[in-house]
Amino acid sequence: MAWIVKPSGTMGIERRDEPYLTQSMRDRLTREVLPRYETTHAALLPALHMIQHEHGWVPAQAMLEVASFLKLEPAEVYDTASFYEEYWLKPRGKYLVSICRSIACEFAGHERVTQAVKDRLGIDVGETTDDGLFTLIELECLGSCGTAPAALVNESLHENATPEGLVRTIDEICRAEAAGSSAGAPHH
Amino acid sequence: MARLFTENMGGAGILTRRIPTPPFGDMKQRHVVRYDEYVRTGGYVGLRKALGMKPGDVTEEVKKSVLRGRGGAGFPTGLKWTFLPKVEAGKDPGARYLAINADESEPGTFKDRLLMDFDPHLVLEGIAIACHACRLNKAYIFIRGEYHHQAHVLEEAIKEAYANGVFGPRGMHNTEANCGGERFQVDCYVHRGAGAYICGEETALLEGLEGKRGWPRIKPPFPAIKGLFGRPTIINNVETLAHLPSIIEHGADWFLKQGVPGGAPGAPGSHGTKLMGMSGHVNRPGCYEFELGIPLRLFVEHYCGGIRGGKKFKAAIPGGVSMGILGTDQYDAELDFDIGRKYNVLGLGTACPTVFDEDTDMVAVARNIARFFKHESCGQCTPCREGSGWLYQLMTRIEDGHGKTKDLDLALEIATSMGSMPGTTICGLADGNNWAVRTIMNKFRSEFEARVKRTYVPVTVNAG
Repeated sequence: MAWIVKPSGTMGIERRDEPYLTQSMRDRLTREVLPRYETTHAALLPALHMIQHEHGWVPAQAMLEVASFLKLEPAEVYDTASFYEEYWLKPRGKYLVSICRSIACEFAGHERVTQAVKDRLGIDVGETTDDGLFTLIELECLGSCGTAPAALVNESLHENATPEGLVRTIDEICRAEAAGSSAGAPHH
Repeated sequence: MARLFTENMGGAGILTRRIPTPPFGDMKQRHVVRYDEYVRTGGYVGLRKALGMKPGDVTEEVKKSVLRGRGGAGFPTGLKWTFLPKVEAGKDPGARYLAINADESEPGTFKDRLLMDFDPHLVLEGIAIACHACRLNKAYIFIRGEYHHQAHVLEEAIKEAYANGVFGPRGMHNTEANCGGERFQVDCYVHRGAGAYICGEETALLEGLEGKRGWPRIKPPFPAIKGLFGRPTIINNVETLAHLPSIIEHGADWFLKQGVPGGAPGAPGSHGTKLMGMSGHVNRPGCYEFELGIPLRLFVEHYCGGIRGGKKFKAAIPGGVSMGILGTDQYDAELDFDIGRKYNVLGLGTACPTVFDEDTDMVAVARNIARFFKHESCGQCTPCREGSGWLYQLMTRIEDGHGKTKDLDLALEIATSMGSMPGTTICGLADGNNWAVRTIMNKFRSEFEARVKRTYVPVTVNAG
């Protein structure tokens, strides 16, 4: 929710030929999402979720595509996308390890869990491994205070997380990746 | 025998009647209740009964039950519903919305999640009843982005509800049985948030629904008059709605028997049961259901197996970090809507206590909470955006041992001026920040004093 300072005058946007907002996403938006709302603007969060889910982040080109599809100004899309934490405006690792740092988790020892993951991956909080596989973050309350500490690995919740348990999960992902199969869909 | 705050529940949970919960069931037996099981165990009886009543009578019954909002503020639900513009007979009132607040992000809170995890149809039935009572034709469940699994369970349940004529063109509101007189179609959708605590504030939630950044709106106009897409909108919490089926089925008098009456003359009481998620240093944390008014000590000692490791109680947050803290001498605080007035906290909040044992560093607690608010302040109002950052810096400085005595007064002054003073900010986030930091500092002042360096004021003495 921070204010983002950027060199608007000189910055360019990286582009690729293949659209980020695929035809199947457009179809789904037209068929399922847009009829639910009074305005096209209201379909923005669902549209950005689709992009985030599919690509792991929300590139500027994708925001432009969403803007033109929903008949919005690009600035309106950026305004929303830059507010919500779940949308990554920069690429992140294929697997996002998010460890809860809120009240119940901190006093249940989340720090030991974070430290174990840091040691295993050789990165600090907020960093991505060189192979682009893992990004580690700490975030606020995951709503698992009764089973603290809690962590999310992409979309799967780990309750009563232990240093050993989370390192084991990371090992399993690494093994699956080395064997050439994703452990689950990329951004699940 | 002393009261156990489950006597008037009829030997089973009410919100948790299908979700095994101690003392009536074993948490390990919990499973997702699908449509068939829900109906087999008495589901959608309340909705059928409600649809046989006039919408005004349903509202009247809810008003009579003194059901108070379970999201944190405790505002009477029936009263909130009456703020909607009246529907004139024979005239199409146009679009009217129900926004369901499932953006459960308050640290320490994990109660709505229980319903969405295991008994989604109870929530849907409540939604359908509210839509009938208030003549609302679209319901949006705004669920926080991190609740991936719960969003999925809800989506599946909604599909089942459509297939079985709860919502949609073939829904129950759209049949002759609907005593509202006119048929109308009710639709229900899940809308996923994307990681912003502030979207739990009702007008920020509407902004999030409209696809904008979650910045709270200035009130008035209130959402009941001008809410989502500029139309009349009711915003209710998941747990509040889940109470409706049983209130309609058993009547307001049945509901009034549970809980405790109000303390102040003329004030509404704390009736019905409440989901209470216990976290922190207790032996058996988890989400329980009790009648409102259960003392914290009874909850911890009798139901949660006491404090972990046989330690002593030190402090507790009554229901989410915004509410402030209960001190060591307030272990007997009753968890009802009068708690704020009686124990110098902001209020009951979500009634999900976080308990701390005697070894807890209260400066660290204050720092953790200050960091949370600094992180989640939306940045719209200056006192909150700047104040939350300052408070976090001060708390960090004190924790690291670099603070000075005057920092304590400065922190209290910042907290008070960003929160307690009315009208400084649009929403209540700054006030939550203020209450949290201020009550911790006041109730555990000595711990803070022990951590700071004395500030000496040089005094020159005229020696002649």
